[in-house]
Amino acid sequence: MNTDISLVRNIGISAHIDAGKTTLTERILFYTRRIHAIHDVKGKDGVGATMDFMELEKERGITIASAATYCRWKDHEINIIDTPGHVDFTIEVERSLRVLDGAVLVLCSVGGVQSQSITVNHQMNRYQVPCMAFINKCDRVGANPERVIRQIKEKLGHNAVALQLPIGLEAEFSGLVDLVRMKALYFDGEKGESVRTAPIPETLMDAALEAREALIDTVSMFSDALMEAALEDRVTEELLLSSVREATLSRKIMPVFLGSAYKNKGVQPLLDAVTQLLPSPFDVVNTALDLHRENAPVPLETDPGKPLVALAFKLEDGPYGQLTYIRVYQGTLSKGDTVQNVRTQKTLKVGRVVRMHADKMEDMEAIPSGFIGALFGVDCYSGDTFVKPGLSLTMTSMHVPEPVIALALFPRGNKSQIQVTKALERFTKEDPTFKSHVDEETGETIISGMGELHLDIYVERMRREYGADVTTGMPRVAYREAITQRADFDYTHKKQSGGAGQYARVVGYMEPAAEEEFIFESRIVGGAIPKPFVVACEKGFRNCLKKGPFMEYPIIGIKIVLTDGNTHPVDSSEIAFQAAARGAFLGAFGKARPMLMEPVMKVVVETPTEFQGTVMGSLNQRRGIIEGSQDEGLFSVIEARVPLSEMFGYSTVLRSLTQGKAQFTMEFSSYQPVPQSIAEDLAKKKAAQKGK
Amino acid sequence: MNEQTPVFANPLAGLGYEEATLLAPGAFSAVCARPGVGKTAFLVQMALWALSLEKHVLHVSLCDPIKKVDLWYRDLFSNLVGRAPGPEAPVTWAAFLPRRFIMTFKVEGFSVPKLEERLTDLVEQEIFTPHVMLLDGLVSDDSLEKVIEALKHLAQRHFLPVWFSVQTQQYPCSEASTAVPPPLKETADAMDAILSIEGAADQILVKRIKGKTHSAARSFLRMDPATLLLTDEDA
Repeated sequence: MNTDISLVRNIGISAHIDAGKTTLTERILFYTRRIHAIHDVKGKDGVGATMDFMELEKERGITIASAATYCRWKDHEINIIDTPGHVDFTIEVERSLRVLDGAVLVLCSVGGVQSQSITVNHQMNRYQVPCMAFINKCDRVGANPERVIRQIKEKLGHNAVALQLPIGLEAEFSGLVDLVRMKALYFDGEKGESVRTAPIPETLMDAALEAREALIDTVSMFSDALMEAALEDRVTEELLLSSVREATLSRKIMPVFLGSAYKNKGVQPLLDAVTQLLPSPFDVVNTALDLHRENAPVPLETDPGKPLVALAFKLEDGPYGQLTYIRVYQGTLSKGDTVQNVRTQKTLKVGRVVRMHADKMEDMEAIPSGFIGALFGVDCYSGDTFVKPGLSLTMTSMHVPEPVIALALFPRGNKSQIQVTKALERFTKEDPTFKSHVDEETGETIISGMGELHLDIYVERMRREYGADVTTGMPRVAYREAITQRADFDYTHKKQSGGAGQYARVVGYMEPAAEEEFIFESRIVGGAIPKPFVVACEKGFRNCLKKGPFMEYPIIGIKIVLTDGNTHPVDSSEIAFQAAARGAFLGAFGKARPMLMEPVMKVVVETPTEFQGTVMGSLNQRRGIIEGSQDEGLFSVIEARVPLSEMFGYSTVLRSLTQGKAQFTMEFSSYQPVPQSIAEDLAKKKAAQKGK
Repeated sequence: MNEQTPVFANPLAGLGYEEATLLAPGAFSAVCARPGVGKTAFLVQMALWALSLEKHVLHVSLCDPIKKVDLWYRDLFSNLVGRAPGPEAPVTWAAFLPRRFIMTFKVEGFSVPKLEERLTDLVEQEIFTPHVMLLDGLVSDDSLEKVIEALKHLAQRHFLPVWFSVQTQQYPCSEASTAVPPPLKETADAMDAILSIEGAADQILVKRIKGKTHSAARSFLRMDPATLLLTDEDA
């Protein structure tokens, strides 16, 4: 194991579904001699790509769980996290980006910048991850890397700059021109394993000189040394590379590489670029939050000798127990060490330390800072921080979106019930966007998540991995209740008929607060309600939010202001004020014109232009508001906002409408009012359910 | 109209342009300015005014993606309601959204027949029937005359008031200068209204070049450089 941290690269590979990232990873592992044979994603050979190790992933040809693996390339140790491409699994992508120092964004040279690439790009921006682009599938009909570079600039807002030119395209794609070294690269051998350099073909020389000039022009904007050298016509390979690296690390540019992973072209130069241009853990400043100093940010040092700070970013339940993927930010995590889980404050002894290569593992003695590894038998949740006992640091909390869709599970038989419980315990630990609870009224087990496919995959895993015989109910949308106008309250809770009495009076108003879940404000002056009772009032109001009086859905977007009140010297208590708050809430809520809110999704459909009208029609029928259409030549991109309740089964509909040529992604946008007629129908259904 | 919807004032009333002219079926109006002076902001204000009159607006952009155009609308809408804030702003915005459709093309891939094909699709499939069309980002090159001519016919065939923006080169900024800018000289007769936006060191002026409909007190408006809103107040 390499212990020189400057030679370590922790990278993620992110992309739109089917852009070819799993194939690319597979090739990387082949050229770095981690595997000795190449398998396809949807392998006819029945083996499947190495990174897609879950059975279900092999079958569907998509990557669901991030599989961590490592490899060595020219003295560098590269830790790779393969990430899912479907928007439903973006928590995986976010987790990966949280622990990675750099990323490769894989784009299809035909499809270009697609909707999921945009989502992934947002996430990279959120975590300020330096990244480079790999334009894949240059051998495909319709390949147009130039257009994709333009799209990176326009759609992703990156200063994309090509470091290579293709030699031929589509079926003619035969190699690359390296614009830094000004050489042609060809990939010989059965699997492209031998990279041959040759002079640039004469026909491409002018284009190459022009592209190199454009590269130097762009990069010199961020490097005085390069600017000077360019003016004096003495740009060296080293200077150009170091300037590109500097600009990449500061996210001023996005270097672009080309190739066709499937045809074994362009992968080795990409690996060179990963080691030359992406940051080592030394180049990235990571911060933790100090719990003893009101979460003040504390910069961490990538120094194995410092006290330990490490983040558990992924859990997997394998045949040997729970495997916890961990990134060490500071210090060293060694076998036999005692560490503390900051969330639970419990200390534990580190047992086996391993590093992963997809589903295979290798034992290690320790994970030094900057490295990624895995622990066995550690009881924790994804996102937990481990520190040297006594430290009060926690890694920045990750942004976790709220689930928008729910399903009821019906296990058949006692054995299945037990298996489902086990599976749920594991899945909810692994994935913070996946939740489960038992409905108090119906006794049904409800699972909730980020989309139909998200839940579908988990149900399927319950069946396959746990052998649970389980069926599901219809998907349920996570409706909410909200008010639309201000309503005043003046409520007295009085129970003074014998025994210990109860007395509390609360005065105030509620009003809509569109952008917030709940705001409570006390404008009590002169001690009309003593402070502990104000706290009790807030608790009372908060308790009312869980189940709205209108249709029993949780309440959002409400502000409650307490302006006055009254107490009794003997009979007032916290319980009495909580009860008064509840009475006031119930009274005022009805007067504040409550309405039902539904989750509305941002839907982006990419379709061949000939189906544009049909696709828009299908979105329109689903109560969608079409925001616009973007003409991309042969393809059009349609952006719309559509209620989630109307999107069930849309992938099947879209496939049949467009001969399978269109694809879509969706993500939660906002809660919007449900139209009156639909709200009435829902109310009737709800009443009928209760009547049963 | 929703009783809560604020009717934004006609942004060009100060220049003497009346609603009946600006939004008449087939009306054909242009705004020109050099890059970065405020053509998009101007068009979006015209759109917001039309939206507040419950008109359906088709915004065609040759320069910005959907998201960026939407951002223009959000920014200017919040600036406009900021002039007279009211709690109903989110409701108004929600009412505006279904009345607006953004269509974007790459400049090189744009042609009026293509636009008309898309427009016809939208109308025939009852997806969106515009009452006003805005076209942002025409470039003044050799083909401009033909594009304007074709656009005029499209406006007439579809009974659509059309506003479009044309990028010009730098012109001297003088309050007295009301000559038709060069890119529109040959086609000025086809236009019902022409405005020019001119930026100087400390102010942006929107000047009337052609098409006043009644005697106006002013020949120019100011565009607030901070909010990019049109105002007839003096700086």
